[in-house]
Amino acid sequence: MTSIDITSTDTTRMSSDISLLDPGHQAAGLTANNVACWFGTKKVLEGVNLDMAPGQVTALIGPSGCGKSTFLRTLNRMHELVPSATLAGEILIDGVDIYRGAIPVTDVRRRIGMVFQKPNPFPAMTVAENVLAGLKLSGLKTTRSERDELIESCLSKAGLWNEVKNRLGDPGRALSGGQQQRLCIARSLAVSPQVLLMDEPCSALDPTSTRRIEQTISEISETITVVIVTHNMQQAQRVSHRCAFFLAAENEPGRIVEEGPTKDIFTNPRDSRTNDYVNGRFG
Amino acid sequence: MSVIGQSAPSDVADKSAPEQVVTPVIRRSGIDRTFRSVATSSGVITFVLMGLIGGFLLLKGYDALKVAGWGFLTDSEWAPDQGGKFGIAAILPFTVQIALVALVIAVPVALCTALFITEYAPRKLRRLLTAMIDLLAAVPSLIYGLWGLFYLQPRLITLSKWMANHLSWVPFFHVDDQYGTSLGIFPSSTFVAGVIVSLMVIPICTAVMREVFSQAPPGEREGAMALGGTRWGVVRDVVLPFGRGGIIGGSMLGLGRALGETIAVTLIISPAFTAKWSILDQGSNSIAALIALKFSESSTFGISALMAAGLALFIITLLVNAAASTVVSKSRSGSSTEI
Repeated sequence: MTSIDITSTDTTRMSSDISLLDPGHQAAGLTANNVACWFGTKKVLEGVNLDMAPGQVTALIGPSGCGKSTFLRTLNRMHELVPSATLAGEILIDGVDIYRGAIPVTDVRRRIGMVFQKPNPFPAMTVAENVLAGLKLSGLKTTRSERDELIESCLSKAGLWNEVKNRLGDPGRALSGGQQQRLCIARSLAVSPQVLLMDEPCSALDPTSTRRIEQTISEISETITVVIVTHNMQQAQRVSHRCAFFLAAENEPGRIVEEGPTKDIFTNPRDSRTNDYVNGRFG
Repeated sequence: MSVIGQSAPSDVADKSAPEQVVTPVIRRSGIDRTFRSVATSSGVITFVLMGLIGGFLLLKGYDALKVAGWGFLTDSEWAPDQGGKFGIAAILPFTVQIALVALVIAVPVALCTALFITEYAPRKLRRLLTAMIDLLAAVPSLIYGLWGLFYLQPRLITLSKWMANHLSWVPFFHVDDQYGTSLGIFPSSTFVAGVIVSLMVIPICTAVMREVFSQAPPGEREGAMALGGTRWGVVRDVVLPFGRGGIIGGSMLGLGRALGETIAVTLIISPAFTAKWSILDQGSNSIAALIALKFSESSTFGISALMAAGLALFIITLLVNAAASTVVSKSRSGSSTEI
C-alpha cells in the first residue's frame, strides 16, 4: 500500500483475531484540517478542525442539521457519493491525505469502516455471508478455515455470536433490529478497519441492544479508532473519550463550537452554548 | 419456573367462561365503498378480457381443430384451403427459434445497458439515455422491419456466412448447401429475423431493468461502498440480487413481444414449412407472420385454421408469463417487477 507512519500507535493493543487478514493492523488516527462542505451551493460545514486520536472514541454531538453526519461521511469519502456534494480542506489518516489519490478510495473505505443509522444487512445473503461480504466486495481471497474463524471472531466482537451461532445460514433480514445492527458491526470488523465511523448506531434500537453495542464499542476501541455521532448525551458520556460539539446558527454552516475530553465537555464546558446543549436546554 | 409458566394459562382458562371469537365488523364509508367497487370491477375486467379472447379464439378455431385433430400439433405443412393437412409442427419451432435468437442477443445487451445507465453513466448522460431508450421502445415495428430489411440484412448476412463457415459444429449454425456457402442463401433466415426482433426487444427489456435497478435500496448500496466495495462489487452483491425479479420480468416481457412480433418478421422471412435446426439459411416462419400473410387470402375454413394457430400462440404466451411470475414471486420480497 502506501507508506504510512504507524509509529504513533501502541502495538500492545493489537488483537490477534481482529487482525486475521492484516497482521499489521493497528488503530489509526484521523485528522480533519479546515474542512468545509457544500451540497450544491449551500454550505453546510465550515472550518472544522478535529483530531481523532488512535484507539480513542470520539463522539460528535449537536442538534439536528448541524453537520455532524455530513462531517462523519467526509471521513471515509461517503460524502462524495451524494450528487452535487463538494468538499474543501483535508482529511488525513495517520498523516496521509485520503482525498488526493495517495490511497485508492476502496482502500480508504476498507480502512475506515462505517456503521449506519439504519441497520442495512444485505438481504440476499445469510448471516455468515453478511459477515464476509466485505471480503467478497473487495475481492479478497480466504481459505475456508480463515473464513470460519473470521465469522466467529467478528460476531463475538460484535456481541452476537451466542445468539446466532446456530442460525448462520439464516437470511440476515431474519434477525431483530438490534441483532441486524450488530451484524452490520461484525461485517465492518471483518475487513479489519483501523477506524470505525458510527452514525447514530443505536437510534433505532431498544435499550438492551443499545447497551450491547456500547459494550462492543468500548471493547473494539482498543484496536480501532471509533468516531460516533449520537443524539444521546448519556451515551456520549458512557462511550467516548473525547467530544466535539457541533452547532449551526440559522442559515449558517455548521462549525465545531467546542472540543475536548468528554468529562470537560459535560462538567466544565468553556462555551455557554455547549453548557446549554449538554444540559438539555435546547436541541 | 417452567412448570408454573406452563400451567398458569390453563388455570386461568379453566376458570373463565368459554371464549367467544369476535368477528370484527367493518363499516365502510360511502366513498370507500364506491372506490372499492370501481377498483374491483376494473380488476375483474382483466379476467373477463382474457377469457373473452381465449374463448373467441377457441370458438373460431374449433372447426379447424376438429378436422385436424392431433395432426394440428404434428403436421408441418399449411394447406387448409386446398383440403390438405395443416399444423403448427414447423411454424411453432420457427416462432420459438426467432424469439430465442432475439432474447439471446437482447437480454445481455439490455442488462448491460441498464447497468450502465443506473450505475456508471454520468447524471446528464443518464437522463439522455433513458429518454432515448423510451423513444426506441416507441418506434413502430414496421420501421424496424423496413430498416432491417433494406439496411441491416445485406450487412448481416456477411456475419451469417462467417458463422456458417467457422461455427458449423454448432447444430444451429450448420448450413447444408449444395451450392457451397454463397451469400445468396443467408437472407430471410431465422437469424436475420431474430436479430431484428431483438432490436425491438432491447428497449423494452432495458426500460424494465433500468427501472428496477434504480430502485436498489440506497442503504444497501452505501453499506457495500462503506466496506470498500468496488462499483462491480456493489452491482454484483446489491443491485443484481435486488433486481433479479426485474431481469426475469423484463426478459419475459421481451419474450412475449418477440413471440408475437408480426410485421417485421413478415417482411424479413421467406415462409418455410419444414422445421430445421439451422437458423442461418433462408426460410423461416412464425405464427404471427403466417396469420398476417394468409389472412386476406383465406376462406372461412382457412381463417378458422389461422385462429387455431392464434390460440396456440396465445396459450404459449400465457404459459411463458405464468412461468415468469412464478420465478419472480419466488425471488426476494421488496424487489419489484412490471410484468
